[in-house]
Amino acid sequence: MKRRLLLTFAALTVAGVSFGASSLESAQTRLKAAVEEVLALAGRATDKPTLMKQIGPVLEKHISFDVMTRRAIGPGWREFDAAQQEQAIGLFTKLIIRSYGSRFKVGQMPEVKYQSAAEAAAGRVDVSTFTIYQGSRYSVVYRMEEAEGWHTTDVVIEGVSMVANYRSQFDPVYKKGGVSAVLAALEKSAARSE
Amino acid sequence: MKRDRLILSLVLALVCPLMTQCASAGKSKKAGVDLSRVGESAAVKEEKMVVKDEKVVVKAEKKAEVKAEAPVEDDLDEYAVVDVADPLERMNRVSFWCNDKMYLIVFRPISKGYEKVIPKRLRNGIYNAFENAKYPVRLGNSLLQGKFKRMGLHTEKFLLNTVGGIGGLIRVSDKFPKLAELPDEDTGKTFAKWGMGHGFYLVIPFMGPSSLRDGVGLIGDYAMNPVNWGVFWSGSHDWTAIPPSVNTLRALPGQLALYDETKRDAIDPYLAVRSGYVQFRAASVKK
Repeated sequence: MKRRLLLTFAALTVAGVSFGASSLESAQTRLKAAVEEVLALAGRATDKPTLMKQIGPVLEKHISFDVMTRRAIGPGWREFDAAQQEQAIGLFTKLIIRSYGSRFKVGQMPEVKYQSAAEAAAGRVDVSTFTIYQGSRYSVVYRMEEAEGWHTTDVVIEGVSMVANYRSQFDPVYKKGGVSAVLAALEKSAARSE
Repeated sequence: MKRDRLILSLVLALVCPLMTQCASAGKSKKAGVDLSRVGESAAVKEEKMVVKDEKVVVKAEKKAEVKAEAPVEDDLDEYAVVDVADPLERMNRVSFWCNDKMYLIVFRPISKGYEKVIPKRLRNGIYNAFENAKYPVRLGNSLLQGKFKRMGLHTEKFLLNTVGGIGGLIRVSDKFPKLAELPDEDTGKTFAKWGMGHGFYLVIPFMGPSSLRDGVGLIGDYAMNPVNWGVFWSGSHDWTAIPPSVNTLRALPGQLALYDETKRDAIDPYLAVRSGYVQFRAASVKK
């Protein structure tokens, strides 16, 4: 009896551990594939406008922009109706894609070194990397979440979370002017970055 | 028998969380992330949905299903608003605006000129040499924080770059991960390690974001940096201003590029910089 119980326990523990290991592995594999795809694109691009045009669909495939938008706006998101949510996601996506794409310079490729991956919670993995770009070294953590495959939901550069940063900016805008003020601010920023 | 029961209870207690974790990762979490985990009742949600196309209908139905299956986890509070006391916000915003104009009118042309005149490789070399020269700042603050092992590593890095990297022009230490990833030290970080909070947020004219704690810390960093030691020289000569000026110049292109990126992508540039600064310092103190 005792033996059987211990055996069951051992088997379940192993299953749990291997699940954790496999989720770490699959999140990391997915991230590596995404980074390689983006870098290949940046390597092939001959000019900036082409790169900016091509990078959007690739990022949309790997980044969960709806999760990012929702969390960046915070509890105020509940007051957005479906159309407003769609509009906010669209504008935020545009803003992030431009922001990300503009960091690349044609002919200058960043080098990404993968450090470790840790399961922050069930279905969530933080992949730590070091990115060397233009002679500087940056610590970059990609927050990955499983939702019909692994997607990036936040990027933390040198301890600065992209989502938390926008959350700090949206909060007073929402408190002051509600949904319409948030949408207006998003529109203004998306237009500014063009 | 009693022992068996005890083992059984223990095993069940241990196994249950594991099973829950697996199930939630594979099922509810997936749904929770994929669909909006908005903490509203399905009925209210459906009422709010202005159904315009099929996609929205499907989404609304899925949300209702998830709500019925399991208690929906709300991820809207996932990120707390990162903030710091800012009683001088009005004054800081004025300072921020002045700095912005100063960057545009004075510093940017200087930075562009520097980039045009000095080749990139030489610029990198100058940057590295000045970073290397900051060794006493790193050493002193490691000591003040009681990080004796780190003092040794900083010394190793400094010697390696100074000797092998021609006076620090080449960052040879990058080839060694334990040295390449060695965190920086400064006086503000030392104060934080001693338990001091930020106090309040400050935008220092010409310099940018800081806090009461880190602003005071800058005085320590300034004094410990050999680049500035000429300034303290009695009967100081004109040449003593050269190293600090070059030190400012070599950092300008990188700092302005970072500032431009933050500003362009921001909803409110002042808040973006403030939040970024607080997060960056918090992460730096943890290292």
